[in-house]
Amino acid sequence: MTGREAAAQRRALVCVAPTVVALGALTVYPGIWVLWLSLQRRIPIFDVSRFAGFENYAFLAIDPRFWSAARTTAVFTLGSVALEVVLGVAVALAIHAQARGRKVALSLLLLAWAMPAVVGAKLFEWLYHPSAGLINVALGRHAINWLGDPGVALPAVILADVWRTMPFVAILCYARLLAIPADVYEAAQVDGAGRLATLTRITLPLLGRILLLAVLFRTLDALRAFDIMFVLTGGGPAGTTETLTVYAYRALFQTLQLGFGSAVSVVVFALVMAVAWAYLRLLRTNTVAA
Amino acid sequence: MIARRSAWALGLVAWLLALGGCGAGHERGPVTLVFKYARILGNADPLPELLRAFEAAHPRVRVKGEALPWASDDQHQFYVINLEGRSPGFDVMMLDCIWVPEFARAGWLLDLTSQLGPDELAPYFPSAVASATYDGRVWALPWNFNVGLLYYRTDLLAKYGLRPPETYEEMVEQIRRIRAGERDPALDGYVWQGKQYEGLVVNVLEAFWANDTTLMAENESVFPEPARAADALKFLRGLITTGVSPAWTTAADEELSRRAFGDGHAIFLRNWPYAMDLFEAPGSAVRGKVAFAPLPGRVRGAPGVGSTGGAHLGVSARSRYPELALALARHLTSERAQRAIALGAALSPTRQALYRDRDLVRERPAMPRLQALALAGRPRPVTPYYLLLSATVQPEFSAALVGVKSPERAIADAGARLAYFLQAVR
Repeated sequence: MTGREAAAQRRALVCVAPTVVALGALTVYPGIWVLWLSLQRRIPIFDVSRFAGFENYAFLAIDPRFWSAARTTAVFTLGSVALEVVLGVAVALAIHAQARGRKVALSLLLLAWAMPAVVGAKLFEWLYHPSAGLINVALGRHAINWLGDPGVALPAVILADVWRTMPFVAILCYARLLAIPADVYEAAQVDGAGRLATLTRITLPLLGRILLLAVLFRTLDALRAFDIMFVLTGGGPAGTTETLTVYAYRALFQTLQLGFGSAVSVVVFALVMAVAWAYLRLLRTNTVAA
Repeated sequence: MIARRSAWALGLVAWLLALGGCGAGHERGPVTLVFKYARILGNADPLPELLRAFEAAHPRVRVKGEALPWASDDQHQFYVINLEGRSPGFDVMMLDCIWVPEFARAGWLLDLTSQLGPDELAPYFPSAVASATYDGRVWALPWNFNVGLLYYRTDLLAKYGLRPPETYEEMVEQIRRIRAGERDPALDGYVWQGKQYEGLVVNVLEAFWANDTTLMAENESVFPEPARAADALKFLRGLITTGVSPAWTTAADEELSRRAFGDGHAIFLRNWPYAMDLFEAPGSAVRGKVAFAPLPGRVRGAPGVGSTGGAHLGVSARSRYPELALALARHLTSERAQRAIALGAALSPTRQALYRDRDLVRERPAMPRLQALALAGRPRPVTPYYLLLSATVQPEFSAALVGVKSPERAIADAGARLAYFLQAVR
């Protein structure tokens, strides 16, 4: 290593140090602390604090409320992300094909996306109102018990979430569509490709990477979803809309069981990390292939 | 270089000054008391004026009223984080009555027992005092009061020659008759709170009491009579399956049910006293057509008991001016202050004498009747573990109400979970 290289390396270390320190202080340290807490029985206000090993995790393994929350989280994530992608792509294509009013359509989409989750949830609380809500008034005699029926509440929450976050997917896709050169489509036309063939052979493959990215972001968000169900249902009825984060909140902040609540949080963290890792691998192989 | 050095010196001086300011601030000059409370809704918020009156009586004291978040859960979280973090940020705290034993056990509240006069608590409702008492000591002064009531439509009952029902059986029969006569598909029978939240626990507790059992016994054992508790849940579920209560009861909180009744779409409603003012407000669809009675019982001669609630004022154990803080709590819970609050807002007083107060009764004619029902009310279990208790049973009760679990199973599951969590804290 020459002297100049060594100097460059030193400078690089100095430059990267603030980031490492900040990440260490804000992410790694609290992360390790939560991991440590999850191995304890700790309820500070009752002066309970003792090492418990894997007791909290052992209880979680046989805790029906935990498994129900895990299942709800999975269904919510799969359902909302799948719907968001399908609708998002459809909306992006529709706006792209539209000759006029694109700006209006885009601003309306952004409006929903920019709305705070709690406000969106409150809005849907009114839409789902059993007797005065717009949806049930439109349904008339076939009114549905949206937030009080254990079979309907989770789909209702998913729908509210899709309304708010679909624009994110739509706008990303729309931006990608704008970047596809027109001559690609012209060439396809010359080759005699129909509209379906153009969509499946050109547009969707070109959207692939950006969609993967959108799905990554949305999945990580959906796995940690909290506000929408917390406001709409509080986790009910019968705990059918209680996700892992809501369960963790109840344990941590409502009943102040720091050890047990941390164990739930660690599981959420592990889940998010595993999914992020899987997606990133997928994204990398995708890049190499492309 | 010189400029930089003088900037350093300037910064150091400013810092030292600030430090000195912190240390000396409370020794001299005016004292500032911080009062944490949730905004009071109503035609006029009487609190700013009450706080100014306290300042006028204590010339060297300033009172800063600071608003708490709106939702009860958020308020609790705010207190826990600040008190656990030993923040001395406030002196007098508005507390939901269900938190008092928890905060007392955590050492966050000043024990008021020795400071109170011998009969100082006598004018209050016994149930309010009970929920401010833990471990034989008093930790807060009762500020406003709530009790579960059965609202009914006087016009509909009169039309069919009926008197307010004493038992649930009677109520069900009255609903059947009235709905058969009215032929209005939009008219529901009995609306109450069945959403998975604290209100559900209150409604189920009232059903437990009507069935002669409870959630936590005196000796702190949970579900002392599981069969009776399951039977009460089965009864509540039955109200929904038989159509006495609408299907959406399982998503109903206070406001949802209050609006349905207030729009004239229900015959009976279980709710708190605040609803009466709204039913009697100008423009209300049920104005002059509403009265309240005790909740029905399961057998004749034993009327149901309403659950009590409300807010207390406690003094922070970290307050630097405990005597002044207690004086402020006393001032705000005084008869004069509670009268002003009852007149300006839809909150009911904790002092019994005010229920026969001329000014108040003229403004709210139902007050004397309310007193009798409030007197009979019963607090939710007074235990430091109340929130753990409530958060654990909520999904189980909800599961029984919506029918995904049998009542017996729900009670057994809730009991098992509670046993596990409680053995850790006791």
